[in-house]
Amino acid sequence: MSTSSIRNEFDIDTEQVFNRMGYGTDGVPSARVESLVREYADNICHLVEPSYSYVIRDINSVRGSRVFIEGSVIFRSNVIARLLERCQKVAVFVLTVGGRLGEVVHQLSGDGLMVQAAVLDAIGSDAAETLAHVVQDIVGKEAEADGLGISQRFSPGYCDWRVSQQRMVFRAMGSDTAGVRLTDGCLMIPQKSISGIIGIGPADKVESYNPCPTCEKRDCVGRR
Amino acid sequence: MTEGDIIVRLKENVIQGRKNQDEEGIDEKLSGTPGVVELTRLALEKKILLEEIINALTAGMTVVGEKYSSKEYFIPDMLASAEAVGEAMEILKPILEAANVETKGKFAIATVQGDIHDIGKNIVAILLRGAGYEVNDLGTDVPTEKIVDFVKKESPDYLGLSALLTTTMTEMGVVIEALKDSGLRDRVKVLIGGAAVSDEYAQEIGADAYCVDGFHAIKVLDSFQQAKTS
Ligand code: B12
Repeated sequence: MSTSSIRNEFDIDTEQVFNRMGYGTDGVPSARVESLVREYADNICHLVEPSYSYVIRDINSVRGSRVFIEGSVIFRSNVIARLLERCQKVAVFVLTVGGRLGEVVHQLSGDGLMVQAAVLDAIGSDAAETLAHVVQDIVGKEAEADGLGISQRFSPGYCDWRVSQQRMVFRAMGSDTAGVRLTDGCLMIPQKSISGIIGIGPADKVESYNPCPTCEKRDCVGRR
Repeated sequence: MTEGDIIVRLKENVIQGRKNQDEEGIDEKLSGTPGVVELTRLALEKKILLEEIINALTAGMTVVGEKYSSKEYFIPDMLASAEAVGEAMEILKPILEAANVETKGKFAIATVQGDIHDIGKNIVAILLRGAGYEVNDLGTDVPTEKIVDFVKKESPDYLGLSALLTTTMTEMGVVIEALKDSGLRDRVKVLIGGAAVSDEYAQEIGADAYCVDGFHAIKVLDSFQQAKTS
């Protein structure tokens, strides 16, 4: 599903972009960096080609840390198993902001314009996160129509869910992977792509699920 | 402008991250005044000693490093400064070569086979260039044979390897094994980096160091140099 309507309402959170570049909450960007970020953020719609795809699958059973999903898909992760045992269904998604932005970043670094390249790269990452929120909202509305709620997003490579499980995510997706390709090394191309799942089930059971408070990885970027 | 002025301004403009006269820098008042490129050319015209020019550039970068550590400067600021110094080094390169002046060392850097993540690698490359290393960027998704071949033919002092994910970093171990098999492992120090890589992983595969970022790499390289001279 390619979505030109989303493209025009891409709202880049410049605060997030600075955060991503290491400014934290109280770092003050210089005037030239500030205006560069603004300029790229305002023109991001010319650089992104947002595209996403998701499928909603039945959960057949959960045994230990393994979750059996229709279509011979098996997710292995304790965190994901504890989530999905509360759910009736699972939405599996892949999304991307496309390859053009990456090409421009590559060109900029090739021309020795590293400041521009680093800023645009960080904005691209933020754009991917923004699109993930959009997908989450869409799945949320669909669940709501059935009187159900949704969980937070989880992606292979976070918690105890290995990156190699990307293969199962892509198997669940079937043929429509929003133009994203998975390499043998489980890297998605284009680079600014995100994959993952969202649990669907009774609102009171799924919305509150959060494995972070008891997790040891205190500096994890995904900590919620 | 006296020779002393040129040297002072050279350092100041590195700190400001002003590659050339059109750039703003941190302090906007400087716009229109000569930047690092113009000042380097001017210094050469005035026959200022190469050593003095390089010292001014390095002194500027040292201040940038300090400002980065104290969180006054951030990644874009340090990149602007490193870019400016990198450009100055390009101008000086032929003269350095003609005068047979040795650089701090040759650093080859690559994102390993199966991985295409390049922004981190490029940041490290420009920082090391700014610190006075001769950097050869081999690119992304670089086959192990190509890396080994480069080490064999060009004898870099250091090899930097980058990867984004735990599934792609394993190729770093493959590169180190291939270097051993070719009898080249002792000729080059291997530094590894990337979000999924760690100190433990460096030890596991027998790399010489894991670096969090480019400034860390500069510190590690300095310590290697000290070990060599002491
Ligand atoms: C931004 C980001 C994204 C963005 C952009 C990704 C991209 N490649 O462009 C988005 C949102 C799209 C994304 C997606 C994913 N991500 Co991500 N992402 C990050 C994040 C937060 C920052 C990475 C980044 O771009 N940093 C900025 C650049 C400039 O830094 P850098 O490349 O790391 O380089 C610096 C240093 O590492 C070092 N360095 C790098 N190389 C070298 C080499 C040498 C020789 C030296 C000395 C130093 C050095 O110096 C550089 C300069 O400072 C990291 C976590 C983190 N804090 O690092 C996770 C992280 C890399 N992502 C992770 C994961 C799991 C993913 C996904 C698989 C999730 C999913 N299922 O969708 C996907 C994979 C994408 C793909 N293409 O396959 C994991 C990887 C874990 C693992 N087991 O491998 C991380 C580590 C987060 C975590 N779980 O802790 N991601």
